Amino acid sequence: MTRILRSLRDGIGFDVLLVIIALSYLLVFAGLPLIYNVIISFQTVDVFSLGTLWHPNAGFDNYRAIFDDPLAGRVLWQTIVFTLGSVALQFTFGFALALFFHQNFTGATWIRGLFLAAWVMPGLVVGVLWNWLLSGDFGVINHLLESLGLIEDPVFWRSNVETSLYAVLIANIWYGTPFNMILLAVGLAAIPGDLYEAAELDGANAFQRFWTITLPMMRATIGAVLALGIIFTLQQFDLFAAITQGGPAGSSTVAQYWSWQLSFREFDFGRGAVISVLMIIVVLFVSLIYVRSTKAETQL
Amino acid sequence: MKRLVYASVLALMTGAGGAVAQDVTLTLWTESATAPESVFAQEFSAIDNGITIEIREIRFDDLVTDTLRAVATGTNPDLIAIDNPDHAAFASRGAFLDITDQVAASDVIDIDAVFEGPRASLTWDGRIYGIPRASNTIALYYNRDLFAAAGLDPDSPPRTWDDLLEAARALTDPENDVYGIAFSARASEEGTFQFLPWAQMAGGSFDNINAEGVADALALWKAFLDEGLASPDTLTRGQWDSTGTFNGGNAAMVISGPWELGRMASDAAFDWGVTLLPVREEGGVRASALGDFNLAIFANTDHPEEAFAFLEYYMSQVDRVWPEFTRLPSVAGVALAPTGDARIDAAAQVFTEQLSYARNRGPHPDWPRISQEIQTAFQSVLTGQAEAQEALDEAAARIDGIMN
Amino acid sequence: MSGAVTNRVLLAVALALAAVYLFPLYWMYVTSLKTQSSIFAVPPEFLPGAPQWDNYATIWEVANILRYIGNSLVIASGVTLITALVGSGCAYVLARYRNGWIDAALFAVLMLQVLPPSLMVTPIFVGFASVGLLEYPRFATILAFSAKTMPFFVILCRAAFMTVPRELEEAALVDGNSRIGAFFMIVLPLARNGLLISALLVFMNGFGEYVYSASIIADNRLQPASIGMTNFLQPNVVNWNAIMAFAATYVTPILAAFVLLQRQIVNGLTAGALK
Repeated sequence: MTRILRSLRDGIGFDVLLVIIALSYLLVFAGLPLIYNVIISFQTVDVFSLGTLWHPNAGFDNYRAIFDDPLAGRVLWQTIVFTLGSVALQFTFGFALALFFHQNFTGATWIRGLFLAAWVMPGLVVGVLWNWLLSGDFGVINHLLESLGLIEDPVFWRSNVETSLYAVLIANIWYGTPFNMILLAVGLAAIPGDLYEAAELDGANAFQRFWTITLPMMRATIGAVLALGIIFTLQQFDLFAAITQGGPAGSSTVAQYWSWQLSFREFDFGRGAVISVLMIIVVLFVSLIYVRSTKAETQL
Repeated sequence: MKRLVYASVLALMTGAGGAVAQDVTLTLWTESATAPESVFAQEFSAIDNGITIEIREIRFDDLVTDTLRAVATGTNPDLIAIDNPDHAAFASRGAFLDITDQVAASDVIDIDAVFEGPRASLTWDGRIYGIPRASNTIALYYNRDLFAAAGLDPDSPPRTWDDLLEAARALTDPENDVYGIAFSARASEEGTFQFLPWAQMAGGSFDNINAEGVADALALWKAFLDEGLASPDTLTRGQWDSTGTFNGGNAAMVISGPWELGRMASDAAFDWGVTLLPVREEGGVRASALGDFNLAIFANTDHPEEAFAFLEYYMSQVDRVWPEFTRLPSVAGVALAPTGDARIDAAAQVFTEQLSYARNRGPHPDWPRISQEIQTAFQSVLTGQAEAQEALDEAAARIDGIMN
Repeated sequence: MSGAVTNRVLLAVALALAAVYLFPLYWMYVTSLKTQSSIFAVPPEFLPGAPQWDNYATIWEVANILRYIGNSLVIASGVTLITALVGSGCAYVLARYRNGWIDAALFAVLMLQVLPPSLMVTPIFVGFASVGLLEYPRFATILAFSAKTMPFFVILCRAAFMTVPRELEEAALVDGNSRIGAFFMIVLPLARNGLLISALLVFMNGFGEYVYSASIIADNRLQPASIGMTNFLQPNVVNWNAIMAFAATYVTPILAAFVLLQRQIVNGLTAGALK
């Protein structure tokens, strides 16, 4: 008993305890619901029997139904485009802004703070605002592009099968950029300034300093931001609901929106769960890559 | 001191035995705290009858989902106001209380006076599972000033599909940012609500969506979009926002319902009118959509009598739903009190007539899935991804699969 | 180019960037002052013709906005508290070691936040109903949502703990501190900026939480502002102006606080104990 206590106080027991508390919490409130989703993906679920785990077994019927659905291929492709596009551009803009505001000029930190407005705004409001901004007739974006002479006729961002996905993508980049920026800014601030001074003395130019100091030193942050970015993007829902409802004709439907539609619009919970299982598999790979990437982190 | 008073009141009550009615609290879930059922529930609670109704407001988009979860876990309320096409899903599975006998015995509720559409929406297997809250439907609003400016007669609005198409062409004026017509062909229940009347006027229905003629209805919609007579955003915009463009003078006609009247009366800076939905050809079949909610009692309530008493109270106040809430009563023979705005009163007459042609959606427990197929069909045709008949045939086959 | 000129040019660029970026926010404020139909005007109105201050009166009187904001604060604080309490220790351990077990734990933490709340809420609701947690709806929402923010918090804090030099902690242990003592005296203070920013982000997240509150909190009196706002979304009638006025009212103070705090925190870092 005293050994356990001592271990808790001074040894590995302390570490194990800290991790176990967090993991058990997560297992109960996130793990069990996840398992529930996996289970019902193999069942025929009637809307009124949601309260129980025992539903007729459906084997792989739900999976077959999803893969046979004519929408499946398009949803997969659109999900990939949306996720990679969002993460890449949010990260690029976020990093650029973080570097820009990292220079010491008057008001830098204040103005940087203003960019965080997006993070505070409720998803519904952001969706509605972008719905209006991107509107073909009365949208501000078309109005500005027309006054600048960049386009002749209004672009119907939301309602054209070619552009609807990008309409949501634009809104999502706007929404996610500050998150990337603030985390990368924190990472940048943690790099000791003397490293740069030393490199400068060695004659390294700004670009070389960025490649040899900034990027390697920020590995942990960048890995975290990218992994979280992918996972957050896979959860983006409000913007689809407010801007295109996945339309027109499914041209902006992505996995998470489809899953929600199947579960809560068509009340086919089994098939909705199939998509969430497929998403779990994707995140499984993302997590593996992230965990691997942490092996190369530099500890100060 | 307080406790003492409370104790003596308690003693009094228990002492009085059965003379004082047991206080009953009922819960009501609704989409709005300002809707008639919420207002009437507050009045009903204020009456000294021992019954109090607590209201929970739920966003319309979440109403069915939250209710399903609640029913599955036994945490559902006693009463609910629910969109009429969703009624059958609950009634067919026994979640709602069968009130056929109570209705038959009631002096206040005359179910035969309820219009056919709303009555069908709350009937399942010949039994009655609720009462209608109110009804709405869609008709054609038009901008009389723009009609006059385009050389059309504001006093003879379009009567047939051909008239409508011609009028839309004449009214469209891209120079001044004016579309001929606005409506909603969104991939949501609203889209189905707007499309079905056209399919029905052409001889189709939800369970016969590939009937000959429905392709013509789709062709009409497609002409509006392809010829630039309606905004391409029609595909992703709801009725309320579409009508917003009409109020702003950027669409000369709009198809929507009586819920628009208040905003239009205050915002529209032009003279407007309302007319019946144009029919396929002179003398053709009329049809329209039936909207608005029903009120129902849950089967597992502990207080069925008290809950039914509220439904009776609601029906006793039904003549107030027009003057106070701008909603149309679902019951025949209720006079619509003048509102003081001649345009709104004229519109009320048109909507009342249009309502008599309104058909309910379903009733079918899987209505959302059926509706989804209809949306997929019209959206894929309007975006040029499929031919009309082909898309309708496919939708019909899938709807058949859902229904059987 | 002299320092002062560079400074001014950078400031001008920063202001221009912010102006472009904040345009949607501006649009929220402008819309909150427009009439119902002028939202749809062509061409768009960049300034409201006749400001409708009534929209604010409406939400102030009709919508009980203060009560809703109070509930949002309760939920956001609860979520932040639980997440920080449970998550920081875990993040610290995950940053301190490098082995198969740690990898597995890190992996598990990430995996557990894969599904969007809309897909998690049904099983959570069913589970909570069966153990009676629905009787304490705000607490239940806090419990559920903390599980959503925790993985995110752990990953971010882990990156912050990575920047704390191991030698400092070891020196403290040599000086006779217990592990717990060293954690609180040395490690936490050194990583505080990263922790605070992460906690702030979690707080913001909790402040805007919608899905869980909407399903779990049945009593309107206990619901947060994110739900109060949606009461203006009715099936056929949507009072967009009131929604925007509501959003503006509850976002503005939080935004102001955030701008101030982030400056303290991110700034503090460069001047922190690392040097």
